Amino acid sequence: MGSSSNQPEFDYLFKLLMIGDSGVGKSSLLLSFTSDDFEDLSPTIGVDFKVKYVDAGGKKLKLAIWDTAGQERFRTLTSSYYRGAQGIIMVYDVTRRETFTNLSEVWAKEVDLYSTNQDCIKMLVGNKVDKESDRVVTKKEGINFAREYGCLFIECSAKTRVNVQQCFEELVLKILDTPSLIAEGSKGVKKNIFKEKAPQPDASTSSCC
Amino acid sequence: MATTSYLTPTQSYAAGALFGLALHQAQIHQTHPLGLDDPTDDRTETSDSSSSSNDAVSEDPGLWVHQNSGLLRPVFKFLEISSNAWYGLEETAGTSSANRHVGAFLRLLAEESGENSSQREDQELALSTAVDVTARSMDEDSESSKSKREKLREYEHECREKFSTAEVQSNLEAEDVHLLQETDSNTFEIKDADHALMSKMTEKPIEEVTMLSYRRKVTVLYVLLSACLADTSDDNKKCNRQRKGYDARHRVALRLLATWFDIKWTKMEAIEIMVACSAMALAKEGESKREEEKQPSKNKWAKWKRGGIIGAAAVTGGALMAITGGLAAPAIAAGLSALAPTLGTLIPVIGAGGFAAAASAAGTVAGSVAVAASFGAAGAGLTGTKMARRVGSVDEFEFKAIGENHNQGRLAVEILVSGFVFDEEDFVRPWEGQNDNLERYVLQWESKNLIAVSTAIQDWLTSGLALQMMKQGAMLTVLSTLVTALAWPAALLAATDFIDSKWTIAVDRSDKAGKLLAEVLLSGLQGNRPVTLVGYSLGARVIFKCLQFLAETECDAELVERVVLLGAPISINDENWEAARKMVAGRFVNAYSKNDWMLGVAFRASLLTQGLAGIQPINIPGIENVDVTDLIEGHSSYLWATQLVLDQLELDTYYPVFRSTTCKQ
Repeated sequence: MGSSSNQPEFDYLFKLLMIGDSGVGKSSLLLSFTSDDFEDLSPTIGVDFKVKYVDAGGKKLKLAIWDTAGQERFRTLTSSYYRGAQGIIMVYDVTRRETFTNLSEVWAKEVDLYSTNQDCIKMLVGNKVDKESDRVVTKKEGINFAREYGCLFIECSAKTRVNVQQCFEELVLKILDTPSLIAEGSKGVKKNIFKEKAPQPDASTSSCC
Repeated sequence: MATTSYLTPTQSYAAGALFGLALHQAQIHQTHPLGLDDPTDDRTETSDSSSSSNDAVSEDPGLWVHQNSGLLRPVFKFLEISSNAWYGLEETAGTSSANRHVGAFLRLLAEESGENSSQREDQELALSTAVDVTARSMDEDSESSKSKREKLREYEHECREKFSTAEVQSNLEAEDVHLLQETDSNTFEIKDADHALMSKMTEKPIEEVTMLSYRRKVTVLYVLLSACLADTSDDNKKCNRQRKGYDARHRVALRLLATWFDIKWTKMEAIEIMVACSAMALAKEGESKREEEKQPSKNKWAKWKRGGIIGAAAVTGGALMAITGGLAAPAIAAGLSALAPTLGTLIPVIGAGGFAAAASAAGTVAGSVAVAASFGAAGAGLTGTKMARRVGSVDEFEFKAIGENHNQGRLAVEILVSGFVFDEEDFVRPWEGQNDNLERYVLQWESKNLIAVSTAIQDWLTSGLALQMMKQGAMLTVLSTLVTALAWPAALLAATDFIDSKWTIAVDRSDKAGKLLAEVLLSGLQGNRPVTLVGYSLGARVIFKCLQFLAETECDAELVERVVLLGAPISINDENWEAARKMVAGRFVNAYSKNDWMLGVAFRASLLTQGLAGIQPINIPGIENVDVTDLIEGHSSYLWATQLVLDQLELDTYYPVFRSTTCKQ
């Protein structure tokens, strides 16, 4: 797992966060995205982290993706990871209604509470569309929720990899459309405390294309 | 094995995470000491959203939390944290403003223990009581500190009578009295002021800490320390860390963690002793078993489990003493017998269970062998090796044990180096008054040369010429001129020729002794335990050269935990202080005296233009500069005032402390 050791160049670094109930397939979705793989995963402990380099909008991007545990007992932990995320992926399982309702009742509130980023892009993802016969949450409901909450929406399947790439791509393109987020993600902001004296980085970097 | 572990899987996860966070913060504090300049104070940091912009930990092998450092993963493994979670933990630890995660993990740690909770609570209770008792008996041991103080006072007096005529008299008798008073008040008043300072500086979410019970905190520290020592990392070939045992960086991280937890460091030292003793017991057990028979592994497991029972046996009597052949600290034996009536044989107090778990994780008994190797069970490594061979032209290089803490399972070593001596006993006596829980050694080196140069300097000081200059107040202003190198009083120049050749030799020897010291540390004669190095005058130079030499090797800050240099004859601009700083995991202190003109004279003007550590602050991030001008009237003051400086530094606190001003209104 992990990224290659020789670091590719990149223009922007974005931090993405995945949230949602336990068992909706956050980790599977991430695995499917990063390594085109699908397997049965045990519940995530705490948080997982993956890096993926992608090209989008003519830019080379480095995505640092935090995959949080959905289990209740780790809920306290998740809250500290919202800070600084440019994109938040909210995942539900189309075959389990409570995972959908929890998004509005639990997760959306968490986002409002903890996210420090006003412009942060949110994306609603309905997973497991491969189980069409078991579906209980309709696409229409998803679209309505997304519209109401002001976020992007997509349905996908980590298993069949339908719409997985698109999911991340749409999110990233939207981030690239938001100047304030680009400013945060540009390389100039990067500070390495061990090499410099860590001057307080100036948020305004020459990044407007 | 799950039943023997003290923590639930979730708690273990949180403990591992906190340790990782502490480790990373410790590395940050190497160059950005806590409380001094903290540009990203997390409480006011809400506007700063750039936290995401650091690179991933996995791409920066220089980080302590990176897997190549071999510091974190063995601990995770010992804690039986699923390997799936390691990556996330490392990244979490490495995020630039990790402090905000601390509260969340503390909350996770406070979680109820689940189905086995009553058993675990009992274990926690037993463990924390044992720690308390051990800590208390350690305190009792140190009751003798008063007599030590007396001795120091005596020594100070002797020294003053012998040498300080020239220097001190110019400073008037009143000064003398003042200093003595200071000695009194400083040592005892300090404690209270400290705590206010501490709570201000630790900048931690206090609410979460209070959610944690004291017992839980002690248990976590205990388990983490066991994890650091057990070292099950044999299979990681990429690992840069060659050394087994207690890494200095581990100890610094634990120190920070204890600060977060608001647990006194003496408790942590008690935990160290307990872990050390139980580990030694286990290792002994394992050895004898292996010699006896080569049974199928299943039988071995039964034996290992029996290892877990050792603790229980110890509660009932002196079994532990028997097993360790008297190596176990009297402190722990006393502590355990005190425990017996309250707890009986209910629980294995000593965390042998933890070690059994480690062995199971490693799948071999190698885990425990590493434990034994890690602190050189006999502890005779340093004193046992007088200099077997002569290196370069160093004629004398020898460690002498001082203090009472030898062979008592202390997990940290202190090496004290004198550098301005008139007598062989000056290698030992300046350090005798110190009162800490480290295994302490003094380094006696090149006494002939050192005595020669010290005496030459002293003679010159007492000569008519110097006295004459002193009367004219020349000396007190000389130093400022020296530093700017504008003018050298001619008389002074002539006078120093007299000292020069001897000084040159001594400096050369100190550089070589430094290399030798580095070799000793590299070869692990201190038993792979973290080392604290303290030295004054040329002794400080020895230490600095040692660090430089370590920096040239592949070494990281794994050996040296803390460094204190006093009145160091080291150029500031000519030397690579950054490299030396990197070799020290914890605090790095430079104590200087602006009035130490003698050091300036000996060091010569040409070098002074480049700055001199012993009389000036060093402008390198991460080095604590401490002005001891008030305590040090002249260079020979270091002989007796070093102790005082060390007291005020409070080396056992994590963050920079120096309280020279407390008692002066």
